[in-house]
Amino acid sequence: MAGAKNHDYHILPPSITPLLGSFSALTMFFGMVMMFQPKVLGGYGSLVFGAGLIGVLYTFWTWWADVIREAHAGDHTPVVQLHLRYGMILFIASEVMFFVGWFWAWFDYSLFPVPLQVEIDHATHAFTVTNLIGQEGAAALEQWPPKGMQVFDAFSLPLLNTLILLCSGTTVTWAHHALIHGDRKGLINGLWLTIILGVIFSCVQAYEYSIAPFPFAGLNYGSAFFMATGFHGFHVIVGTIFLIVCLARAYKGHFTPKQHFGFEAAAWYWHFVDVVWLFLFVVVYVWGGWGAPVH
Amino acid sequence: PNPAPQVAAPEAKAVPAPVAATTAATAAPAADAKAATAGPDDGSLPGYTPMKPTPGVGMPVDRGVDFQDQYSANGEYAKWLNNSILLPIITIISLFVLGLLLFVVVRFRRSANPNPSKTTHNTFIEIVWTLVPVLILLGIAYPSLTLVAKQFKPAPKEAVTVKITGYQWYWGYTYPDHGGFEVVSNMLKEQSQVGPGERYRTENDGPSHLAVDARMVVPAGVPIRIQTTAADVIHSFAVPSLWFKLDAVPGRLNEKQLLIEKPGVYFGQCSELCGARHGYMPIAVEALPPEKFAAWIKAKGGTMPGEKPAEAPAAPAAATAAAPAAAAPVAAAAAAVPAK
Amino acid sequence: MTTIAAHPADHHDHADHDHKPGFFARWFMSTNHKDIGTLYLIFAIFAGIIGGAISGMMRLELAAPGIQYLTGWASMMAGKEASLDEAYHMWNVLITAHGLIMVFFMVMPAIIGGFGNWFVPLMIGAPDMAFPRMNNISFWLTVVAFIMLLGSTFVPGGTGLGAGTGWTVYAPLSTSGSVGPAVDMAIFSLHLAGAASILGAVNFITTIFNMRAPGMTIHKMPLFVWSVLVTAFLLLLALPVLAAAITMLLVDRNFGGAFFDAAAGGDPILYQHLFWFFGHPEVYIMILPGFGIVSQIVATFSRKPVFGYLGMAYAMVAIGVVGFVVWAHHMFTIGMSVEMKMYFTAATMVIAVPTGIKIFSWIATMWGGSLSFKVPMVWALGFIFMFTVGGVTGVVLANGGLDDNLHDTYYVVAHFHYVLSLGAVFSLFAGFYYWFGKMSGRHLNEFLGHLHFWVFFIGVNVLFFPMHFLGNQGMPRRYPDYAEAYAHWNEVASIGYAIMGVGVLIFFVNVIWSLLAGRKAEGNYWGEGATTLEWTLSSPPPFHQFETLPVIK
Ligand code: HEA
Ligand code: HEA
Ligand code: CUA
Ligand SMILES: [Cu+2]
Repeated sequence: MAGAKNHDYHILPPSITPLLGSFSALTMFFGMVMMFQPKVLGGYGSLVFGAGLIGVLYTFWTWWADVIREAHAGDHTPVVQLHLRYGMILFIASEVMFFVGWFWAWFDYSLFPVPLQVEIDHATHAFTVTNLIGQEGAAALEQWPPKGMQVFDAFSLPLLNTLILLCSGTTVTWAHHALIHGDRKGLINGLWLTIILGVIFSCVQAYEYSIAPFPFAGLNYGSAFFMATGFHGFHVIVGTIFLIVCLARAYKGHFTPKQHFGFEAAAWYWHFVDVVWLFLFVVVYVWGGWGAPVH
Repeated sequence: PNPAPQVAAPEAKAVPAPVAATTAATAAPAADAKAATAGPDDGSLPGYTPMKPTPGVGMPVDRGVDFQDQYSANGEYAKWLNNSILLPIITIISLFVLGLLLFVVVRFRRSANPNPSKTTHNTFIEIVWTLVPVLILLGIAYPSLTLVAKQFKPAPKEAVTVKITGYQWYWGYTYPDHGGFEVVSNMLKEQSQVGPGERYRTENDGPSHLAVDARMVVPAGVPIRIQTTAADVIHSFAVPSLWFKLDAVPGRLNEKQLLIEKPGVYFGQCSELCGARHGYMPIAVEALPPEKFAAWIKAKGGTMPGEKPAEAPAAPAAATAAAPAAAAPVAAAAAAVPAK
Repeated sequence: MTTIAAHPADHHDHADHDHKPGFFARWFMSTNHKDIGTLYLIFAIFAGIIGGAISGMMRLELAAPGIQYLTGWASMMAGKEASLDEAYHMWNVLITAHGLIMVFFMVMPAIIGGFGNWFVPLMIGAPDMAFPRMNNISFWLTVVAFIMLLGSTFVPGGTGLGAGTGWTVYAPLSTSGSVGPAVDMAIFSLHLAGAASILGAVNFITTIFNMRAPGMTIHKMPLFVWSVLVTAFLLLLALPVLAAAITMLLVDRNFGGAFFDAAAGGDPILYQHLFWFFGHPEVYIMILPGFGIVSQIVATFSRKPVFGYLGMAYAMVAIGVVGFVVWAHHMFTIGMSVEMKMYFTAATMVIAVPTGIKIFSWIATMWGGSLSFKVPMVWALGFIFMFTVGGVTGVVLANGGLDDNLHDTYYVVAHFHYVLSLGAVFSLFAGFYYWFGKMSGRHLNEFLGHLHFWVFFIGVNVLFFPMHFLGNQGMPRRYPDYAEAYAHWNEVASIGYAIMGVGVLIFFVNVIWSLLAGRKAEGNYWGEGATTLEWTLSSPPPFHQFETLPVIK
């Protein structure tokens, strides 16, 4: 662009991606609404949603492809790299606040329990939930988790998953150290290990969901549990994809010991996901399930 | 955490079948009364005639600017707090700021003061305008927190309990100490809006938008324990002339004391957006001298505490309504979906 | 405050500094902070017209007791005869749309997206924002969010078309109480607008931390930049909580979730906590940049640096911090415990202290100054007084015991329009008159500007002051109709709307006139009082400014 640039900031050429991304997001969300309300809005919701999703994914792809291209073109001067660091940290801060919302729900239910009576037939998965508020003797039922339900044993699969994530935190640090010392082999191995651990984590989590002794719908425990751990799981998947991209870029030799912000961002993100899990493990699985019969 | 020990649920003590009170059940006696007297239906029962509201009492007044006159001790205190403390303070602060603005505008206009000073600091004045507001606020906080404390005084044991349930879009008033019957209270329509033979609002009922077909009747001069809950969405039970507002939230039972000093009719309106007819579920509280209240209870087929259940004609209706909606367990849909 | 070395920052001699992209690339693919700022301002004016027109419909209906127009409007929307319930629902749709549009699509885009984008980089001596492309997606996400919200009014939302939940979207009215896609669309609209704002916040914080010109320490930044910095932090930390809350609404609505379903152990009050944890910081998000604008203007037209600069900056920080721990003053009547009510009463009142510091420091800035009453200054003066009036009624509401009567009455409506429609909007107009010449290169008409101010000032006061009386008398909010006794002050308020409307018309005449035939604006048309960096540039500034960074002494 303009020629007389005497500073290190990055002045960008016009880009169609933001417009495209926004209207794709609009399409995607509207498609989702159509899927929620097929009777009112017709049955093509999944098509509209799919079209929007493709647009959104395309946006992510081209956007980051542009960023990588610009990095190679030398646009990422030290100050611009600093921008990227700030941006990532702030983004993670906002993510933390997003999780605060889900934890808030969990604490609301667990610290101020209502007299719920849950009956679950574990053979058929049929269940009834009754709120006995205002009934005589209801106070004795004010407990968390609600009476009549079973929870996961925190010290079985969840503990395993905790160890897996902690491990993956060290492997990603290993990769980082290797990168800083110019050891590409170590970087690639560390990344591979981290990704594999991430995938195992997701598989364990998916298996755990499949054997859950309580429902998602129609019970506060279930809704709060699955949404909090589910959003965490979603972040694990995003983080894993982020690391896979880094792996691919590591093979291509994109990273240098001096300049590798893409990798660092992925690592930060991974650590953030890790820390959220530790809170989930302590608050939701251990403390939040204490005293209830385990599955 | 699992604070409560693993005791068995007190199933044995549970209230029989949870039946939500229905409009039909409580409307029945009124219909009977109408057939018997053949007069215009004004909500009268044998032994009870609704009180005629006094204009300007318990209702907004034309062009009014102040709070409504208060008929509870807490209301009087609160109104005093606003009118004698807060309103003067905020008026003075606003006028003080306006005065300063006008002063600088006149005194330091360019023609009067062509050469600006360069003063940008004065520690003393900065401390003053930090500390003075702090002191003012402390002065406000003391009576203000006193008011809050007064409002939270729990009702004494012998208080009369009224359990108020918000429905889309009417109110239900249940009297657990008096046999547990529920009064269903709907807004009265204007004459032009009803068909022949239907009940409409007259001046005896109260102002338009505020008058109801069946009021919440309570004793005056006696502590009342108000409990609120809701059957569908959140409503709010509010009576401005009693300085009373308490949300009615599904799954919660809120409780607060109310003591009405004088007999009278006090109007209010639902004060939490609850859907289309949020503006059309008014509240009318009729406070009666205790003996008249007892008569009303009797007319409704209820019992005074200590009394044996009366064999009044309305007994079946009262019995059906015995389990107030709020006490009924709220059951989530039983589902046979596989747990995810 | 900042002293600026008169540095010839823009190179008029350079040939291609003004090379602008073609029309489509310039306005639809923009990565230029000034163009994006302009887009935001145009968008906000458009949304302001819609939100203002909706409030006109509301005042028309409320002008007299009875239902006059709602049935007709509801029928028009539905294309068939509407029932009375549908008419009532239409009311709820109008107030919901009005509240959401004014908050999310008028004030926020104008004051942060518009003025923030235009002037934060200029004032700190930066060539652009830190993330120019992300800046653009913030804008377009706001646009599509608005499309989503407008679209929601054409689909079923329960009793009739559109979302009728109030801008607070309380559960369970918004979950089990509103079937149909309208509320889902309104929620997604908030998701989109929220994402836009979070990205914008990341952008502003990074820009302010990293792109200040050499020598501009954080304690030399103009107060407008400070205000945007604090605002951006509020956005960054408050909006994600709203996102979580409204996602729970979606889960309850569409996947059988039990977050707010009491029968299954859910808690409707939880939603209110989450909403107001966002909602209270949100009201400061709408006013803090206005504080910043007013600080610049007061200093400029007093020809004097701001009094107590550090106190001014840290008062805003204090307002931001304390603003996070007062949220439940919106929930005094939910049946909270006595301790909670006392805490939230006391904590809320604390905010009056830093706000008072601001008010008095503005006055002290003028004290000893050499004041000229150009249009922006008149709006700033109006702001200071009207915001004080709105602020002190906030202090009344902060008293939990009094709020037991005032909550959800027109007293609250009066309070928040004084701080918003007379506070935030006054600061918007002040900023607009202050910077219009800088942005467009044309002067606005002084006379029309003054006329606009006085007509608007009288109008909004006639419009909103009587609402205090209605509130004292107990008139609840969100009512399409009312008892006879409330008729008088409602009629007065509606007359006030008509006066105010004339004021807004004068504004548009002024803008159009000046764009077509306005006098050309010089670089620093306010003279020696205007000391911040944007006044060292031409009007309008070159397409890319500060290609050599200015140096601050
Ligand atoms: C710009 C937006 C804005 C701003 C700045 C404020 C500022 C304040 N607000 Fe307001 N408020 C709203 C927007 C805003 N509010 C909105 C939109 C609602 C309704 C939401 C809804 O329900 O839809 C609301 C509702 C609302 C409520 C809930 C009412 C209810 O629903 O029952 C309360 C209660 O405490 C409150 C309090 C305050 C206080 C104490 C301040 C303080 O920050 C004010 C501080 C300022 C001053 C006090 C004036 C200047 C100070 C001095 C001159 C110093 C000396 C003063 C003293 C010693 C008192 N506000
Ligand atoms: C910023 C916020 C804002 C603004 C400016 C306004 C402006 C107005 N509002 Fe309000 N209003 C709200 C926010 C706002 N409002 C909210 C949050 C609610 C609560 C909703 C709910 O209950 O859920 C509400 C509710 C509300 C009610 C109560 C409804 C009810 O409870 O039933 C009423 C009733 O009269 C009303 C009227 C008006 C009127 C007549 C104006 C007039 O002042 C409007 C005149 C128009 C303007 C002043 C805008 C002009 C601006 C521009 C054209 C853009 C300029 C741009 C630049 C210079 C860049 N509004
Ligand atoms: Cu019931 Cu509003
Ligand atoms: Cu608030």
